Amino acid sequence: MKRINALAVSVFATLLLTVACNNGEQNVTPTDDNEAITTATLTLTNKANQSEVVTATIENLNTTADFSKATLNLKANTTYTGVITLLDKTKTPTLDATAEIKEKANEHLFVYTPTPSTLLTVTLTDKDTNPAPGPYPIGLTTEIKTGAAGTGKLKVVLRHQPNAKNGQATPGTSDLDTDFTVVVQ
Amino acid sequence: MGINGFVWSQTIACSGSVQGRILSNDPGEPLPGATVYVRELATGAVADSAGYFRLEKLCAGRYTFVYQYVGYKPFSVPVTIPGDSALVLKPVQLVPDSQTLQEVVVAEHRSEAQQLLQVQNSLSGEALDQTRGQSLGESLKAITGLYSIQTGPSISKPVIHGLYSNRIIILNNGIRQEDQQWGTEHAPQVDQFLASRLTVIKGAASIRYGSDAIGGVILVEPKSMPTQPGIGGEVNVVGASNGGLGVASGMIEGAFANKLAGLSWRLQGTLKRSGYVRTPNYYLQNTSYHETNFSGDLHYDHKRWGAELFYSQFDTKIGLFTGAQVSSLADLYAAIERPEPLVQPGFSYKLGRPYQDVQHDLLKIRAYWHTGRGGELTATYAWQQNQRREYDFISFSGALNPELYLKLISQTVDLVWEHAPIRSKAGGQWSGSVGFNGLTQGNIRQYLFLIPNFRNYGAGLFAIERYAVNRWTLEAGLRYDYRWLRAYFLDEVTKQTYFKTHSWQNANGSLGVAYQLSPDLTLTTTVSTAWRAPNVADLYSNGLHQSAVAYERGNPNLQPEQALNGNLVLAYAGKRLSGEIGVYNNLINNYIYLKPDSVPVIRQRGAFPAYTYTQVRATFRGIDATLTYKLTDHLALTTKNALLFAFNQTDHAYLVFIPPNRSDNSLRYDWAKWGKLSNLYLSMSGLYVARQNRAPAVTTRQENGQIIFTGDFAAPPPAYFLLGAELGCTVQVGSQPMHMSLSGTNLANTVYRDYLNRFRYFADEPGRSFMLRIKLPFSVGKGV
Repeated sequence: MKRINALAVSVFATLLLTVACNNGEQNVTPTDDNEAITTATLTLTNKANQSEVVTATIENLNTTADFSKATLNLKANTTYTGVITLLDKTKTPTLDATAEIKEKANEHLFVYTPTPSTLLTVTLTDKDTNPAPGPYPIGLTTEIKTGAAGTGKLKVVLRHQPNAKNGQATPGTSDLDTDFTVVVQ
Repeated sequence: MGINGFVWSQTIACSGSVQGRILSNDPGEPLPGATVYVRELATGAVADSAGYFRLEKLCAGRYTFVYQYVGYKPFSVPVTIPGDSALVLKPVQLVPDSQTLQEVVVAEHRSEAQQLLQVQNSLSGEALDQTRGQSLGESLKAITGLYSIQTGPSISKPVIHGLYSNRIIILNNGIRQEDQQWGTEHAPQVDQFLASRLTVIKGAASIRYGSDAIGGVILVEPKSMPTQPGIGGEVNVVGASNGGLGVASGMIEGAFANKLAGLSWRLQGTLKRSGYVRTPNYYLQNTSYHETNFSGDLHYDHKRWGAELFYSQFDTKIGLFTGAQVSSLADLYAAIERPEPLVQPGFSYKLGRPYQDVQHDLLKIRAYWHTGRGGELTATYAWQQNQRREYDFISFSGALNPELYLKLISQTVDLVWEHAPIRSKAGGQWSGSVGFNGLTQGNIRQYLFLIPNFRNYGAGLFAIERYAVNRWTLEAGLRYDYRWLRAYFLDEVTKQTYFKTHSWQNANGSLGVAYQLSPDLTLTTTVSTAWRAPNVADLYSNGLHQSAVAYERGNPNLQPEQALNGNLVLAYAGKRLSGEIGVYNNLINNYIYLKPDSVPVIRQRGAFPAYTYTQVRATFRGIDATLTYKLTDHLALTTKNALLFAFNQTDHAYLVFIPPNRSDNSLRYDWAKWGKLSNLYLSMSGLYVARQNRAPAVTTRQENGQIIFTGDFAAPPPAYFLLGAELGCTVQVGSQPMHMSLSGTNLANTVYRDYLNRFRYFADEPGRSFMLRIKLPFSVGKGV
């Protein structure tokens, strides 16, 4: 009985000491998103004139989203080759998400939707390695044809479709869903 | 006095009763004040002046009755209660114990909750056995006025009279469970097999159990420890056809004799595994889960004092339905539009992302001391650690880390002094207690930000006094609380830690009156106030709640919630008709809820509806009615009905996530004996759940290309009706009774959705399932 009593008291005291002195909550770890995309850049190169390169970038996508450099100024009735780059600047060094997507191309699909639809025609030019009825497009590289002059938006959606990619946008969830402003002159 | 000390504790669903008499063996004189205690139920009664006692509302089953009286040797005997009948026992004669004239402790055996003059219902015995294998939240639905908020088939959170999360206190073996209960998809981390009795106090019960208990209290009470030397135990096995659920739970316990008399122990463990659950038309991908739990309990009782050491661990991994994983509002609306999930795999036990991995550890040390005439002093210390890891879909970065990690360590200290009953000159009896509750918590987060690191302290002082005279029982209580909270943040630019501090204090009171109109009719009314300080999630949430498709913003200016709760219950226990009807009104000022913002938040994955914690004046009013009518001695009809009306008085609007009205009706036939089978019964039940018409209007509109929504994402689903049946019996295996039951749920394989399931937007509820339950007690070398 005495022994149990002593045991109880010592367990109690030890716990109180070890736990009460633990102020772990005062060391705050920075926020860390496994899957943050901070920066999306569209780089369009005029097919007829390789030195003519147009870029548009959206920064801080994971927080307040900065659209100040997100406008694509394009020429009417011109064909461009497009490349999309996604970065995660919260990581050190900066993580190139496009490289990760290329690696897992069989479960990712970019969907480009211009509004109005006559503004641009977007064709995906790369293919994944999904077995038949695949392969399906990925959308890291594109061919973009502009129509007549006008302004509008280009919505870029990255669909994450693990074990479900079928060439359609429907399966899976969105890893990215954002809009670039488009001015065609 | 003396008829039955526990008229207020209404065990629904069962109406067996036992009458008996306690006498002295020499010369057969009655022993007024002697006690009978039912070990499995942790309940009992006190003999009246002629030595008679009566126990009511017992479920069929095998129990151990322990008879005790000061100066006499305790005597325990197994008693089998057959179905819903009245059993009259032979008088028990206690033998004087000349050697140890010690004070026999009755108070230890009365659950303190059962003494409280509060509206309470409990599940025990056969009624509890019928829910074995289910989670705590699901099994409590057998009690009228209880509901659950689900996140798919594997996560279920109890709801009392429309209130849940932090507004309910769960006392796990006497310890206030602290497991990040603010989260709607955080189910209580409690092993249902630990309980031999689940008691629910409906309505504000803050005075005794601390602030926050605006909605009520759930007590998970284990079987009391064995007192007779020897080793015994119990094995429970449960299997279900839907989900391929398998559960095995075992318990072994013993008490020592001679030099170690007073020392008792118990080991208990549960293993649970389930695969993909099937709706009538398809499987729900990734709805598998496992649970591995164990506990150990060591008691020492010696003369006037005793001590207890208890440790338990609850470990679970819960898969979340992949079809409910949407990453933006656009995805969500697309998923709602789909009549069926896109991916419909076959059955599997696979468990992948997204999932939750949660471990809860609890250590409890308790000591009590009977001061004799002074009463009883109890000191309890508990340490809890809750570690929660939440994993979303595998990210493209291939990180193996969880998206969310939270570690909460809580320590509680409780000191309670229960004074010995005092007789008044008028023949009444005073009883009551005073106490102190202390709490401190530290929370550490990692990865994504949802709630900050914090430290909090809480202290409360309470006093409750009861006076019982003739047909009246009166109760009054007072409580004072102090709460302190400091939340820690990191400035992303300067990388410096800074903090914000809050403190609150509050005093509350309660009054209760019970009047016995006739021996079988009792009217109880209680009025109490209760409060809840805003918790850290209410104040400082700031992040994307991916599984809820919501961006939640805390509000650091929130004031404590203040509730005024009134209850009126009429309980009747007649020969043919028994039951209770209760009405309640809970008015909550500064009720905290997530109000949808008009402008969505734009993030990388698109637009998300944003919510901010806001305060309104809310009312929760309702009626609970449970009635059992015995058509014949063998056939009984039971109806359980719950109506709830909740309203946001500030904005004159309905509140979201309020349980719809429901009516559960069953017909049960009992055979006392049929061949070698005893306690044979067959029951059929029909559950009707109405459509929730009192819900916020669902509207969406397009504004600048963005979807702006109000109220909810989709209208409440239609009403549904489910059929169920159960067949149970007891077979003698050697010297032990083995209980078996086979039950079927959703027998008609009805396709339906439930308003309180957060995944109702995406998929149907589970289809037909058959469940087999076996319970086998055993004993090894039981001494005399």
